[in-house]
Amino acid sequence: MARHSKLQKQVLALYRQFLRAGQDKPGFIPRIHDEFRENARIKKTDVMHIEYLYRRGQRQLEQLKDVNTKQLGTFSKTGEKS
Amino acid sequence: MVLWLTLKEKSRSLIHLFLPPSLHNLYAVAVNLHRGKILGVTYTIPPFSESGMVLYNSISEHPPWLRNGPSTDNMASVRAASRLLPKRILSKTKAVPAAAVHGSRNFHFSIYGKKKNAQVSNDISTQYPVVDHEFDAVVVGAGGAGLRAAFGLSEAGFNTACITKLFPTRSHTVAAQGGINAALGNMEEDDWRWHFYDTVKGSDWLGDQDAIHYMTEQAPAAVVELENFGMPFSRTEDGKIYQRAFGGQSLKYGKGGQAHRCCCVADRTGHSLLHTLYGRSLRYDTSYFVEYFALDLLMENGECKGVIALCMEDGSIHRFRAQNTVIATGGYGRTFFSCTSAHTSTGDGNAMVTRAGLPCQDLEFVQFHPTGIYGAGCLITEGCRGEGGILINSEGERFMERYAPNAKDLASRDVVSRSMTIEIREGRGVGPDKDHVYLQLHHLPPQQLATRLPGISETAMIFAGVDVTKEPIPVLPTVHYNMGGVPTNYKGQVITYTDGADKVVPGLYACGEAACASVHGANRLGANSLLDLVVFGRACALTIAEEHKPGEKLSPLKPTAGEESVANLDKLRFANGSLRTSEVRLNMQKTMQAHAAVFRTGSVLKEGCDKMDAIYQTMDDLKTFDRGIVWNTDLVETLELQNLMLNAVQTIHSAEQRKESRGAHAREDFKDRVDEFDYSKPLQGQEKKPFDQHWRKHTMSYVDPKTGKVTLEYRPVIDHSLDEQDCARVPPAIRSY
Repeated sequence: MARHSKLQKQVLALYRQFLRAGQDKPGFIPRIHDEFRENARIKKTDVMHIEYLYRRGQRQLEQLKDVNTKQLGTFSKTGEKS
Repeated sequence: MVLWLTLKEKSRSLIHLFLPPSLHNLYAVAVNLHRGKILGVTYTIPPFSESGMVLYNSISEHPPWLRNGPSTDNMASVRAASRLLPKRILSKTKAVPAAAVHGSRNFHFSIYGKKKNAQVSNDISTQYPVVDHEFDAVVVGAGGAGLRAAFGLSEAGFNTACITKLFPTRSHTVAAQGGINAALGNMEEDDWRWHFYDTVKGSDWLGDQDAIHYMTEQAPAAVVELENFGMPFSRTEDGKIYQRAFGGQSLKYGKGGQAHRCCCVADRTGHSLLHTLYGRSLRYDTSYFVEYFALDLLMENGECKGVIALCMEDGSIHRFRAQNTVIATGGYGRTFFSCTSAHTSTGDGNAMVTRAGLPCQDLEFVQFHPTGIYGAGCLITEGCRGEGGILINSEGERFMERYAPNAKDLASRDVVSRSMTIEIREGRGVGPDKDHVYLQLHHLPPQQLATRLPGISETAMIFAGVDVTKEPIPVLPTVHYNMGGVPTNYKGQVITYTDGADKVVPGLYACGEAACASVHGANRLGANSLLDLVVFGRACALTIAEEHKPGEKLSPLKPTAGEESVANLDKLRFANGSLRTSEVRLNMQKTMQAHAAVFRTGSVLKEGCDKMDAIYQTMDDLKTFDRGIVWNTDLVETLELQNLMLNAVQTIHSAEQRKESRGAHAREDFKDRVDEFDYSKPLQGQEKKPFDQHWRKHTMSYVDPKTGKVTLEYRPVIDHSLDEQDCARVPPAIRSY
C-alpha cells in the first residue's frame, strides 16, 4: 500500500487528537467518527477542500479542548407528525 | 445526502436493463449524492437485516460497473433511472409523505450517537448538532458596550464568553464620529451637574433621572479610564484633552452659553474607541465566539439561563449556559430605507427579548440625525456644526437662527431635523428636486478642517463628490439612533413593569444602544451615546460582580431548551414560499420610511400600522434559496429580517398610540407635549392629571411573534436622582433652545 502523503498524515494526526480530546465529554466521539468517515470520501486530489476542512477542524479542536465545552447533543426532526 | 428510491413492480423491468441478473431481486436503491455528483450506490436485497440496514455500503464492495466512479454514461443511466422511479422515502414500516417532514416542529434532543434504532430515515432527516458550553457570564455583541462589559467581567474574575456575529472591530461603534461628553473642564470651567441638566432637558423629561445622574457623574472617570487605555484623544496646546462644542450642551443649567465638553479624536472617535477597547480586551481571557449569530435567549420560569447561537462557519448550534447574560447588540436602523447604520444593525437583542415574552421600551423614539448625506445616507458628524459649520437653505440663509435663536445650529438634533424638514416643505430646499439642504463648511480655515474633520472631508468627497473647502455638502435628516430598547434600571439589570413596580428579570442585563436605561429619553444628545456605552458596559460588569461570584453552580436547564429556535431555523432554511427575503425587507423599509418619518400624522401612522401588519403576515410566505448550513447568508439575512420585523411593528404601533409630540416623536395632529401639569403656565392652582391621561411615561411593548399583535403598557418615568443632596432633580419645563 502506498505510504501516506503529508496531508494524509496531518489528517490522521488531527483525527487522533480529536478522539483524545473528546474522550471525557459525552457525545463527541460518534460525531467525530461520522464527520471523518463522511469526509473520507473526498478525492485525494481535491487538496483545497481537504485543507479547508483541516483548518476548520483545527479551530473546532481548539474549541473542543476548551474546558467550558461540555457535551454534544443533537436536535433531530422526527419524520412523522405525532 | 442519500436519496432512497424504492422500486415498484412496473419499474423493475426497466431496471433489469441496467443491472446484472444477480440483482434482479432488488428492492431499493440508495444513491449517495454529494453536491449533485453520485458518489456511490448502496442497495438492499431481501431479506433485510433487523434494523433495515444496507448490506453493502462501501464503494469497494460494489461490482466493477459501479465502482468506476461517475462516468458520464453511468451517471446518465442512473439519472434516467431516478427520473423514472417514484421517489419515496423508505422507512421501516410505512412510507412517509414528504409534506410531513416540512413544517413539523417535532424536534427531539439526544446525546449524539445514542440512537435507539438506526432508522433509515435518519439519512435524510435534518439533524442539528448542538454543542453545550458553560460559562459564568455571556455577553452578546462585541461593540463598545459589549467589549467593555466582557473585559470588565473578565477583570472581575468571571469566566466570560463574548458572542458576536461580526468581528469586534467591525461592529457599528466603529462608525461613530462625534465624541464623548464629559465634564472635564479643560476648555472652560465645567460641572457634571450642568451636563446632567442638559441631558435631562435633551430627553424632553422622559429620561430616568437616576440613570442620567449615574452616567454624567461617572463620565469624567470613564473618559480618563479610556485615555489610560491608550485612546488617542485630540489635544489642546497644553496637552489636555480637546473638547469641542456639541448640540444641546450648555453651561450653568442652560444660562451660561455653549459648553465645550465633547472629548473627541478628530472625527473618528468611535473608531479609536472600539480599537482601544479591543486592544485592551485582548489582555483578558475572555473567550470570543466570532461570527456566531445569537438566535434566542434560553429562558426558564422567567429567568434567563443563557443563549443559543448558530455558528455561521460550520452550521453547528451552540448553547451557552450562564448565570448572567448581557445583551449589547446595538440598534435597528435597518428597519428604515434611509439610515446611517450598517447593514448589520438589525435589532437582534430587542427581538430576542421580545420573543422571550419581555417588553421593549420606548421604541417609537427614533432619532433622525440632521446631517446625513443626501442619497448615500452616510453620516456627517454634528462635530462639523460644533467646529462652526452652518446649515443653509436655497436662499443662502442660516435658517436655524429662526428656529433656535440661542443655540442656532447646535440645538438638539430633533429640533434641527424638524427645522430642516419644515424648510424643505415650505419650498426652500436645494437641488433639482428641492428636497434637501446644504451644510456649509468652506468658511472655516482649511487647516482646521484638515486637523479636526479629516474623516468627513473624505466621506463628503467619496459619497457626495464635494470638496468641503470649496462647496457645501447636501444633507438630509436620516435615521441614526434608537433611543428605545430593552428596559433596564440604572445598574443595567433588565426590568419588567408588573403590578405597579419595576421587577428585575434574574440573569439578564443589557447595555449600549440595545438597552434603554433611559438616559436618552425621547431624544439623545450628540456624544452621549459613546458615553452611555462605556459607562453602562462597566455598570453591568460591576453589578454582576456585586451580586454573583465567579464559579457559581449553574441552575439546571431542560435538555430540550432552545428547541423552538432550532425549529424556526429549520423552517427558514427550507422555506419555499413565493416572496424573497429582499422583497419583504424592502417593503418594510419603504413603509417605515413613508409612514414613520420626522413628522408623523395620525392617519398616515394608522395606514402604516395596517401595512406593517400585512407585511408581517407575508413573512409566512418567504422563500430562501440556499439549503446548506455552512455560511448560509440567505438564512442569516432571513433571521435578521424576522428580528427587524418585530422591531418595526413595535415602533410603528407605539408611535401611532402616542398622541403628543415629545423629543424625536413629532406629531402634526398633536403638536404639544402632554404632561401631568401644563408647564407653560404657572403650576399654582393646576390639577395633576391622572397617569392614564398624560404622556410623560415610558411605553412598554409586547409582541406575540406568531400573530404579530402588539400590546402596549405604560411605565412611569423615574424623576428622582440617586442623591438629591448632591444633585437635585430637574423638574419639567418647556424645552426651547
